[in-house]
Amino acid sequence: MLPSYLTLAAILFCIGLYGALAKRNAIIVLLSLELMLNAVNLNLVAFSKYGVVPALTGQIFSIFTITVAAAEAAVGVAILIALFRARGTVDVHAFDRMRR
Amino acid sequence: MDMFAKIAWVIPLLPLASFLILTALGRSYRTAGVWIGSIGSLGAFVMSLLVLLERLKPNPVDYSNGFDWITIGDYTLTIGYEVTNLTSLMLVIVTLVGFLVNVYSAGYMKEDERITVFYGYVSLFTFSMLGLVLSDNLLSFYLFWELVGVCSFLLIGFWYARPAAKAAAKKAFIVTRIGDAGLFLAILLLFWYMPEHALGFTMIESVFDNQGGTITEGITTLIALLIFLGAVGKSGQFPLHVWLPDAMEGPTPISALIHAATMVAAGVFLVARTFDIFEASEAAMQTVAYVGAFTAIFAATIALAQNDLKRVLAYSTVSQLGYMMLALGLGSLAGGIFHLFTHAFFKALLFLAAGSVIHAAHTQDVREMGGLGSRMKTTAWTFAIGALALSGIPPLSGFWSKDLILAVALEENLLLFAVALAAAFCTALYMTRLFVLVFLGKPKQAEERTAGAKESPAVMTIPLIVLAALAVAAGFVETPWNGWFGHWLTDGAGEAHGSAIAIVCSVAVGVLGVLAGWAIWGRERGAGEAAATLAGRAPGLVRLAERKYYIDEAYEAVFVRGLRGIGAVLEAFDRYVVGGAVKLAGLAANAAGRLALRLQNGQVQTYSLAAVLGIIVIVLAVIGRRMLS
Amino acid sequence: MFNVDITGELVAFFAFAAIIIGGSVLMISLEKVVHMVISMAAAFLGLAGMYVLLDAEFVAFVQVLIYAGAVSILMIFGIMMTKHGGGDGQPARPLYEALVAVGALCLFGLFFYAIRTTEFPDAAPSAAVAEDNTMAIGELLFSGYIVPFELLSVLLTVAFIGAIALAKKGAD
Repeated sequence: MLPSYLTLAAILFCIGLYGALAKRNAIIVLLSLELMLNAVNLNLVAFSKYGVVPALTGQIFSIFTITVAAAEAAVGVAILIALFRARGTVDVHAFDRMRR
Repeated sequence: MDMFAKIAWVIPLLPLASFLILTALGRSYRTAGVWIGSIGSLGAFVMSLLVLLERLKPNPVDYSNGFDWITIGDYTLTIGYEVTNLTSLMLVIVTLVGFLVNVYSAGYMKEDERITVFYGYVSLFTFSMLGLVLSDNLLSFYLFWELVGVCSFLLIGFWYARPAAKAAAKKAFIVTRIGDAGLFLAILLLFWYMPEHALGFTMIESVFDNQGGTITEGITTLIALLIFLGAVGKSGQFPLHVWLPDAMEGPTPISALIHAATMVAAGVFLVARTFDIFEASEAAMQTVAYVGAFTAIFAATIALAQNDLKRVLAYSTVSQLGYMMLALGLGSLAGGIFHLFTHAFFKALLFLAAGSVIHAAHTQDVREMGGLGSRMKTTAWTFAIGALALSGIPPLSGFWSKDLILAVALEENLLLFAVALAAAFCTALYMTRLFVLVFLGKPKQAEERTAGAKESPAVMTIPLIVLAALAVAAGFVETPWNGWFGHWLTDGAGEAHGSAIAIVCSVAVGVLGVLAGWAIWGRERGAGEAAATLAGRAPGLVRLAERKYYIDEAYEAVFVRGLRGIGAVLEAFDRYVVGGAVKLAGLAANAAGRLALRLQNGQVQTYSLAAVLGIIVIVLAVIGRRMLS
Repeated sequence: MFNVDITGELVAFFAFAAIIIGGSVLMISLEKVVHMVISMAAAFLGLAGMYVLLDAEFVAFVQVLIYAGAVSILMIFGIMMTKHGGGDGQPARPLYEALVAVGALCLFGLFFYAIRTTEFPDAAPSAAVAEDNTMAIGELLFSGYIVPFELLSVLLTVAFIGAIALAKKGAD
């Protein structure tokens, strides 16, 4: 069963990657990032059950990841709101200060 | 014991210190420049004299010292100095003439606003020349050799606002460069063939001294000829003599110091220093002798027809250098160096006296001069002494050295003896002409210009008197009855000479030349008239000599035009092929830049995409390699 | 893989996988932002089901609480506090998006290749994992992983304060 889970995670990861790179709405980009993190979590939990040495470590790791992701989402949305106040938009195209 | 020889390394450093101080001072300290330059050269002169006096003791031992300069693998390059009889003599000549020229320039260059720069250059030159003389190996010799070339370039082009001076400086540099290339090739060959790649003069001497050594005769001849090519360039021998007369565009003290007494003698010195290589090759010796003899007669005839005071002296220098080469080529080291020694004094004297005349008359054309003898008594008398010494009238120094060379030529080769005699006759002839035209007769200039012609200040005349005394006395170190000089110089191998025929011939041609000159140009006749008479009798010959045998024109036609043609082709190649490639590269870089600029759009997403694509490429490459292997 | 027996686990796997992929694809392709977030929440719930299937009930619980609950709500709040001119519809740069799609597909190809070629040794699911393991996770968290756990609590506090500070800055 393990390859099926891993394939599913790969699909999720790639969809998330596409969303993160191609979408112009910053909120959707954030959501895509969450999707990628979830793909990683799925892998961790799958290995926790079907890995060579089944152990609870994978699950604990995924819990940590979820916690970090939650913190990241909170800070990300806060940054978004601050950016929106400064620029009046959430279109990532508007954020090109790195060019200068 | 060898106390002064041990500290001989200080001698070049004194002028170097003057040069550095003068360069640091800048242009504003005019009198300071004169003092610093003169004191530096005086110090060097005193020390050289002490070294020479020490060498005069019986059986002096050559002293050399040095340190490792560069170590490459097993090979160590040393740099050092060596004191021998020859080098100590050269030291004294260089520093003495250098000091006198320094003093003289205080008067001659007084009005020039760049006098401090001038003294700096002269000090630099003195440093390089002394370094050249003291070098104990060919490589450092070559470095200083190039350095004196640079100084010569700087000083010929000292008045760079004049187009002629600029052109002359360039010409001197480029023409001597041909010779320098020869010398460099010779050094490379020596490096290649010498045991342990040694370049020291002592090593060269010991290797070439015993015949049938490690180096074959063909290579020896090749090396000797290449060295001689360097000497030809520096000493203005035919066919590379063309730069020396043009070098007279520089200030006259420079002509005396560099282009008469010291630097041009460096070629002779080089041959003398590597004499063992030449002695090992018969063909090379022959070449040296014939080139020297040809140059002697060739330049002497040109000097007959020139009208520029300094150019006559310049061709005379070329001719006398030819004499030195002739002596060396005939195997007489003492003869060549003895003539170098005496020539340094009387030619420097002649140039400085000519400078005094030019200073007063504001022209260099002898046809515009005349009657200056009564106004400039000191200059006239000293010039006369120099001219008689050059003409070989006994008992002045030029007679003894020329006589020595003639005696050697008589023994070795009658043809060369005849050529040398003819050259000596021409020498006496043109010197008489010069003296008569400049100092005797009636003034030919307009009144207001001659009115200013008066004797030069003491600072200029005293060096003249000193040099005149030397020109009289210097010859007595070597007479047909007393071979002390040759004995001292060649370390025992004194050359037996003293042929009565040679003496008689030598005196005869000298006196004949003077008398003939007097007959043609003297007797209160106008110079123009005399020249017209001569030109009327042999118009073609005079014209040929006046145009310097069309050598410059021939070079212009053959080398300069040819090189220009090649240059044009190369320029076209450069412009269209190389330039096109360069432009293409520029355009490609530009296009790449535009592409990169589009990538650099400030969007985090684009950057991340680039990262993702990069990772994919890397992973694919790794997989591909693993699959292939 | 295709000759395996159709078990209950397999059916449930495919059902959840359909929900997850469907949700995420909808998230990418929908027009309105709120719809996107809701489809995303569906995908999160599907993932929670997947965790149950993998005997990770506690993780599934956390997933529902944090992702389907907190993060989705947070995103909706974010959407409410910013303006969306509905301008995500027209692809202003088709070449770029095609390139991203190619990149993502290539990456998936690599992943798939890696998964296919790797030999996964079968290991019998151990009893410790298969049991109700919430208690075990709790014990592990407070014994072996106490340091990272505490660090996480610090991180959460910092993120919490930072988020407030960032969001509040321009407000007054």
